[in-house]
Amino acid sequence: MPITNSDLLERYMHAVRFLLPEAQQADIVAEIGEDLQSQVEEREAALGHTLGEDDLVALLKKRGSPAKVAGGYLPERRLMNPAMLPVYWLVLKIVLLWVYVPLFAFVFLGPVLAVARPGELLLRCCVEYWRAAFMTVGMVTTVFALLDRYQVKFQHADSWNPRKLPRVPGTQDAMTRWKHLAGSIFGVAAAAFWAYLMWRRSEFSGFPGGSRIILGPVWKLIYWPVLGLTLTSAFFDLLSSLYPRWTRVRSGVRIGIDTGLLLLVAAVLKAGNPVEFAGWSLSARDLANSATSVNGSIRIILIMVVVITIGDAIHEILRLWRGRRAKPAAIPSMQYR
Amino acid sequence: MHTNAASSDIFDNLRLELRRGCLVVAVLAQLYTEHYGYVLRKALEDHGLAIDENTLYPLLRRLESQGLLVSQWREEEKRNKRFYRLSPLGEEVLPNLLAEWRKMTSALERILGGRSLAAAPRSASQDKEER
Repeated sequence: MPITNSDLLERYMHAVRFLLPEAQQADIVAEIGEDLQSQVEEREAALGHTLGEDDLVALLKKRGSPAKVAGGYLPERRLMNPAMLPVYWLVLKIVLLWVYVPLFAFVFLGPVLAVARPGELLLRCCVEYWRAAFMTVGMVTTVFALLDRYQVKFQHADSWNPRKLPRVPGTQDAMTRWKHLAGSIFGVAAAAFWAYLMWRRSEFSGFPGGSRIILGPVWKLIYWPVLGLTLTSAFFDLLSSLYPRWTRVRSGVRIGIDTGLLLLVAAVLKAGNPVEFAGWSLSARDLANSATSVNGSIRIILIMVVVITIGDAIHEILRLWRGRRAKPAAIPSMQYR
Repeated sequence: MHTNAASSDIFDNLRLELRRGCLVVAVLAQLYTEHYGYVLRKALEDHGLAIDENTLYPLLRRLESQGLLVSQWREEEKRNKRFYRLSPLGEEVLPNLLAEWRKMTSALERILGGRSLAAAPRSASQDKEER
């Protein structure tokens, strides 16, 4: 069944009307209809005959889709002021970091290591992670959209002070931030691993031939101090990533952590053999040899830890010393391009 | 280095920005005398300022909501048409806008001095619009 010109016009006007605000629909559609009618008459006068279906379709296509036509009458909408975007991204990153790093380390990583089918649990965790990510992004976005909608200002426009503006970040700052952030994530993961591996454990079993590695009493002694020290280090790394210019505080804390670590290593080295071997399938001589070999390896590793820790402590002491001697920097000359 | 398409896009965007303010002044100036939309568009086109219907009608509504125009539905040639003209506020604002416009064009003339800048080839959208 052929479509008449008035049918085509009515369909077009109806589609435009549907997309307009209700209060203005009739008024706007009447005006657009009148304009289209004038165009049709002008075209017919030029051609000398009534417009055919194809001519009218061409005219409507030239006018634009109903969405385009209606769009011109709608107010410009935005979720938030572009000026708020940098703050939005910063808040989003911080929220994601604070929510998901601990969540991953303590809630997901532990069960994954413990259950018989970690693949299945990992998949479930990934689904939960995505769901939580969408919720967090949604919530942060909603809060910012509401702030923008109701014109909440963080600071009165005239009350700003040039002295209180943040310092200009250098490339060194960015590198330091990432280094400490990586250190913090590693620290949390290491603490979770230690907590899971050594919690109330006195031996490691399940080796071929029924062998067991029996932990010396010193491991129980250092369990909580190691956990505390690792988490403290991770926490200060996170603080350092947020405030990379707190170099003196950072160096002081680092020296304290290094000292604590040296004391713990000294306690393990002083306590005699860190581990013993037991097992019904090995001879006493083999057990003794294995224990000697493993204890020797542990001691070598601990001595390496001591060397690295002393090196780190010296580095931090030198940094503190240099910081005290350094003269205040002159105001740099500005170059405008 | 920009490709031709990219430079054409940049030109189109800048041209759009440049035209936006000029169109407001032109529409207000043309509505010293009463017109309905279709005739207004034709009058502007005859003066060399082509304007798309989808730009003109929303602009007329915006200017009316700002109080610069008044409108009235009236029957003419057996059809209802919406006639626009400058409001008293529009009559007050338009001379100031024109003074500002003249100040800007004369400043631009002084900036350009005697330099003649060769016009680049016209963009596709510009040609299309003016056809």
